[in-house]
Amino acid sequence: MRTEALALNDVTIDLRQQRILESIHLDVEPGSFTCLLGPSGCGKTTLLRAIAGFTPLSRGDIRLGSKSIAHLPPEKRQTAMVFQSYALWPHMSVGDNLGYPLKLRGISRAERQQRVAKILARLELSGFENRAVTQLSGGQRQRVALGRALIIDPPLLLLDEPLSNLDAAIRRNLRGELRRLQKSLGITTIMVTHDQEEALQMADQIVLMRAGEIVQVASPQHLYHHPADIAAARFLGVDNTVSCEEHDPPSARGATKFGFRTQDAVINMPLNAAALTRKGRVTDCLYTGNGYQVSLSTDGEELCATTASPIALGTFATLQVPESALISFGPDDRHMPPLDRHEDIA
Amino acid sequence: MTTLSSRTYPPIAARKPFIQSALGTLLVLPALTAIALLYALPLARSLVTAFRDSNGAWTTEHIARAFSLYGRDILFSIGVVSASLALITVISIAIAGYLVLGTTPWAVRMLRWLYRWPLFIPFVVSGQLARSFLSTNGMMNGVLVETGLLTAANAQSFLDWRGLVLTFAWKQIPFVTLLLAGAMAAIDRSHIEAARNMGAGRLRCLFNILLPQAAPTLWVGLILSLVAMLSVLSVPLMLIAGNPTMMTSMMAHRITYYGDYGIANALGLFSYALTAFTAWVYLRLTLRREATA
Repeated sequence: MRTEALALNDVTIDLRQQRILESIHLDVEPGSFTCLLGPSGCGKTTLLRAIAGFTPLSRGDIRLGSKSIAHLPPEKRQTAMVFQSYALWPHMSVGDNLGYPLKLRGISRAERQQRVAKILARLELSGFENRAVTQLSGGQRQRVALGRALIIDPPLLLLDEPLSNLDAAIRRNLRGELRRLQKSLGITTIMVTHDQEEALQMADQIVLMRAGEIVQVASPQHLYHHPADIAAARFLGVDNTVSCEEHDPPSARGATKFGFRTQDAVINMPLNAAALTRKGRVTDCLYTGNGYQVSLSTDGEELCATTASPIALGTFATLQVPESALISFGPDDRHMPPLDRHEDIA
Repeated sequence: MTTLSSRTYPPIAARKPFIQSALGTLLVLPALTAIALLYALPLARSLVTAFRDSNGAWTTEHIARAFSLYGRDILFSIGVVSASLALITVISIAIAGYLVLGTTPWAVRMLRWLYRWPLFIPFVVSGQLARSFLSTNGMMNGVLVETGLLTAANAQSFLDWRGLVLTFAWKQIPFVTLLLAGAMAAIDRSHIEAARNMGAGRLRCLFNILLPQAAPTLWVGLILSLVAMLSVLSVPLMLIAGNPTMMTSMMAHRITYYGDYGIANALGLFSYALTAFTAWVYLRLTLRREATA
């Protein structure tokens, strides 16, 4: 089946008289990988379920290619979803789980077996046809769930936090594997995640959501360096904010705050005129494996930076952040684009 | 400052094993006594009585006579419970399936509220209800004649095997549905959603995803229903006049009019055998499922 573009237009969802999603507009390019990113309860899973047909819309339209699917029952939508719990049927073997979607489409047993073997080989699970799904490890279950979704060659693949139940090491491996598989199949994919690292590594486009609304739609690079506002920045790891002062590096016109990530801030290095500089007393010094994280108390602000060697508590230290790592925010906490560039912020 | 290690705590006193086991025995004893006196002992006695003549000698005569006198009743009983179980299975699957997969909230709510009612009505009242509903001049024929679907001359009584099947099913469907709907509701919702996402309609979800996973519970419900139907006396006595009838009626008849415990117990033996056979089938299926899982 040809992969399709997805378009959400004014998608609004109410559940039990409560608005869960408010007027969502989103265009997804065919063959692209889109991540719905946001904290728990922001409505990202509801949006995915609405696309699959499990949550009815109060208003709006969902189009897959040129066709509206908003009023179709889930079984008619041709979207393939991988669930967070994998949802493998325990009374069926691995082969039966994979072959069931084909059986529903009236495909003969011989062809089913052939296609199951092919997809198992692709997932590096050859020979697992007769295993009970209850005997599989988490990573293997995840692959079978993915294979079950892909076996029907769907125009749209939906992934609901597919890696969140796995160990960190397996998760890192599978991220790359999943991305490679998606690229080789060229299938339009939408993945829900609350893990910003996962979204940054995998997506072509990230949809940042908060409280039932889209905050920003951008490429991973753009989102990382130009988050729409302070809350979005915090979610993306910008853990320090300072008020602008006169001697600070030149920033966007009207900016009142800078944000930066702890990993970009250094302590007691030779002074650089083009860097943001703050002096303060060391209140904490924690070992992080590849160095130390130092907390500084400056004029009423608590800032963090990294250093290679420990610093005694109570001493004074100088924190510096290079200009390129600073993110400017206006008085309304919204991101201010640097003077020489125009940013596209949703 | 006192450190934790400098403090000494008295060890937790271990309870004496004898007191512990005595307490356990004391707690189990009432249930154990009840089972021994009210179930195991009468069962053993009735089994023994089925194979003893009036002089206390071992014999198979009761079994042979029970077969020759009541063979038709035994077959009738098997036929009635089989038909009832089939009806119970079909309808309880339909109701439980709708309760879990139904998409009209008010219909699901109403069905959930309505289907349990017969659970709270005793068999004897069910029998009486069936009599007034299914007889020639009963409410069912009355309604059919009133609505013009049936002429009064063609009205017939359902107070035969059909009445028994309908009454047993009416009484037992809520019980089996209650168990089955509970088992189906306990299945992870994402299993159904995954099937629908893959292209399965609701009926396929019911038969391919829900029912195979809830089947052990359905079996338990059906076996318990079988036991209930084989042991009810009031319903066959109230619904069936003459022969053939259910084994319970014949056992009561044998005891009441002849004081013949031998043949009555031989008939009871068939009931045990029938139930035990079904339970064996169920256990085999469960064990096979566990072995493959």
